Amino acid sequence: MGRILLVLRLVVADVRRHPAQAAILLVSITAATAMLSLGGSLHGATEKLYRHTRAATAGPDVVAYSPGTRRTTITALESLGRAPGVVAHSGPHRQYYTTLTAHGATGAAVVQVADQAPGPVGRPLLTSGGWVRPGGVVIERGFATALGVRVGDRVTVAGRSLPVTGIAVTAARSVYPWAPGIGPHGGPSDGGGLVWAAERDTRALESPDVPVTSFINLRLRDPAAARAFTTRDPAIAPAFEHTWVNVRAWQDVARQDSVMLRDSQPILVIGSWLLAFLAIGGLATLAAGRAAAQTRRVGLLKAVGAAPGLIAAVLFAEYVTLALLADALGLAAARLIEPAIVNPSASLITTATGPSAGTIVLTTTAALAVAVLTTLGPTVRALRTETVAALADGAREPQHRAHLTRISALMPTSLLLGIRLIARRPGRAVLHACGTAATMATVTGLMVIYAQPAKGYPGSPMANELRDAQQHHVILAVTAALIALAAVNTLTATWTTAEEARRTMAVARTLGATPGQVTAGLSAAQVLPTLPGALAGIPMGLILCLPFSGPDTIWPPAWSLLAAALTAPPVTAALAAIPARAAARRPVASTLSAEVP
Amino acid sequence: MNESGCVLQVRGLCKEHGEGQGLVRAVDEVDLDVPAGQTLAVMGPSGCGKSTLLHLMGGLERPTRGEVRLAGRRIDTLSERALARLRRRSVGFVFQSFHLVEELSAAENVELPALLAGCSPRAARRRAASLLERFGLADGARRLPWQLSGGQRQRVAIARAIANEPLVLLADEPTGNLDTAATLDVLRLFGELRAAGQTLVIVTHDERVASTADRLISMRDGAFVDDTRLAGHGPGRLGGMLGLGD
Repeated sequence: MGRILLVLRLVVADVRRHPAQAAILLVSITAATAMLSLGGSLHGATEKLYRHTRAATAGPDVVAYSPGTRRTTITALESLGRAPGVVAHSGPHRQYYTTLTAHGATGAAVVQVADQAPGPVGRPLLTSGGWVRPGGVVIERGFATALGVRVGDRVTVAGRSLPVTGIAVTAARSVYPWAPGIGPHGGPSDGGGLVWAAERDTRALESPDVPVTSFINLRLRDPAAARAFTTRDPAIAPAFEHTWVNVRAWQDVARQDSVMLRDSQPILVIGSWLLAFLAIGGLATLAAGRAAAQTRRVGLLKAVGAAPGLIAAVLFAEYVTLALLADALGLAAARLIEPAIVNPSASLITTATGPSAGTIVLTTTAALAVAVLTTLGPTVRALRTETVAALADGAREPQHRAHLTRISALMPTSLLLGIRLIARRPGRAVLHACGTAATMATVTGLMVIYAQPAKGYPGSPMANELRDAQQHHVILAVTAALIALAAVNTLTATWTTAEEARRTMAVARTLGATPGQVTAGLSAAQVLPTLPGALAGIPMGLILCLPFSGPDTIWPPAWSLLAAALTAPPVTAALAAIPARAAARRPVASTLSAEVP
Repeated sequence: MNESGCVLQVRGLCKEHGEGQGLVRAVDEVDLDVPAGQTLAVMGPSGCGKSTLLHLMGGLERPTRGEVRLAGRRIDTLSERALARLRRRSVGFVFQSFHLVEELSAAENVELPALLAGCSPRAARRRAASLLERFGLADGARRLPWQLSGGQRQRVAIARAIANEPLVLLADEPTGNLDTAATLDVLRLFGELRAAGQTLVIVTHDERVASTADRLISMRDGAFVDDTRLAGHGPGRLGGMLGLGD
């Protein structure tokens, strides 16, 4: 118990002493685990929400549509309600194809005639307000969200202004904007939102110019057999002899709902890999920067009689604790963000269940792996260092690169210092270049997606716009997260370089290097690896896009990709200048006089 | 150098740390003139302000009050940038812990001041090679600092300090980390520099080092308590004093 308390006390003391480092670690791992959790949660997420909505709204197993309202049409649909295997039904009802105007925006709408009390199958769930009453309409939530409509607002349906009495969700139809289920006259649907209105209010829609379709909601004894039912089961064949009937199983509705996420999941999964890579790079740099201080800490602990096991526990405990905290934060963030991603049209119940046990295990393992892998090297090195040597100076010997040193002699002072800083720790420069390449690869992916024209598939142009928008939002979020983490990494790398080389830079100051030259040198050490990294990121990004491309894919012009890559060095320089400037202004005398660097 | 022939002039120099009850005067109202070519030793117990005085004279720290003039030019009011430029050409530093750049070889360390001062790489290399040969380090020119002995490292540091032929060489406990043989090596080098007319200010605990100077100042609690001219120290006597059989 005493040992555990001692370890905890040392961990807390170190975190208090280096809050910025703890914050960097938290941010890096949180971003990576959140993205990993989102990527892992998306598989089957919409289907899960659909099932919840279906359960809450007594969703039908099959919906049968038939154009028109003639007697034969109604008879055919009613015969389906009595077909073998059907245990309950609602309808037939009518739906009119018209438009709805709200807040100056007009959208295609399907107005369903609603009973005062919904039937046993397909009972829309009100998420706000009340159910349909004469002189008021209920709007499907996805449609209401798209139009920015709330309960109490007035909307115009077929030229008639009506108040919105409620907002509801239903599993009887696909998510907005695939609500019509079937287009006018039995043809393909142009998409649109769903509105429920009292019969009295739909009378104005009865006109030869307004297409109308009849439909019936069916519940089967065996919901799993809904697909077989729709493929012209011999038992229901008589219904189709004289009337054109379109039947849709609940599985088809669920599948269509998930189309919205089809392109988002790979973006999130690949994004989480890249973020994890950046997190590892950033933390490895951070751990390396702290190596000297950690080695001296080990020396102190050894000197007071701490056993290697206790020392290792102290060194690992901090990163592992912070990694677990970051993992929890990442999972919580993913839990909050998930509904917006899996339910972009808001047409389903947003009772996100959060990450699965598998996802939690995956993210926790990843977070712990990042923490352990980045601290393992410095910890082992520190434990192997002799006590006296550890107390004296724990810094790892920098490398001598005669070739780079000779080349740098030809350069102006800032570049000379920058190249020599790279030559001290070339591995760090490679890591930084790889991080830049990962970020640039994502930016390239973003540019490729933005280069594609809005497709507007026949049938549901609105749906494709929404899907494109969803895809754009997801990759924009991934890119923003990557750029933010790359920025944090740049700050970390510059700070680490400045920490490790502070004596060297102080010596350079005594020899006549100005603070500006030292700042520029520290920045140059970050900027020089950025350019090759950014250039390498372009083909990397294009390769990542290849599996999702086709013959009609439009690739962004080379100049635009090159221009994007060329913005990386100045952005890096600006970021690196912040810690570099602070480091260059450190008093030279105290840096050189300090026993402990 | 100014009209009085002094390379360094210090007037009312004061350096304070902390405030209120915790106020410490590291250097307290010090006046000093260092003529060109003089070797000045500053002695005193640890914490008496010797190193701080050296840092103030070299522009590594800024005084709380007072003036520092180098070759007649006031330096305590200069910007960091101007101070850096001044150090390139006019001041050389030697430290107790050498402060060589660990990732650079001995020759590369000695080349560094010349490169920072804008010399061509070839000129810097030539100058470094000549200094290392003069200091008996030609064989170790390609070695990294950790491959050199303490005495060799300090000789490299001295070579680096004089690479740009500064007006004044400021040495902070230059023999503090050295054994007797290495100390004698360093003293021999200082003797050569002194003979060549180099102005030297040496902060030291070592009486052997102090006794080779032209002038000895004793410090206590940030102030000078004694200022002694050491007579009869011709360059030729240094070796004799050290028992080197010059």
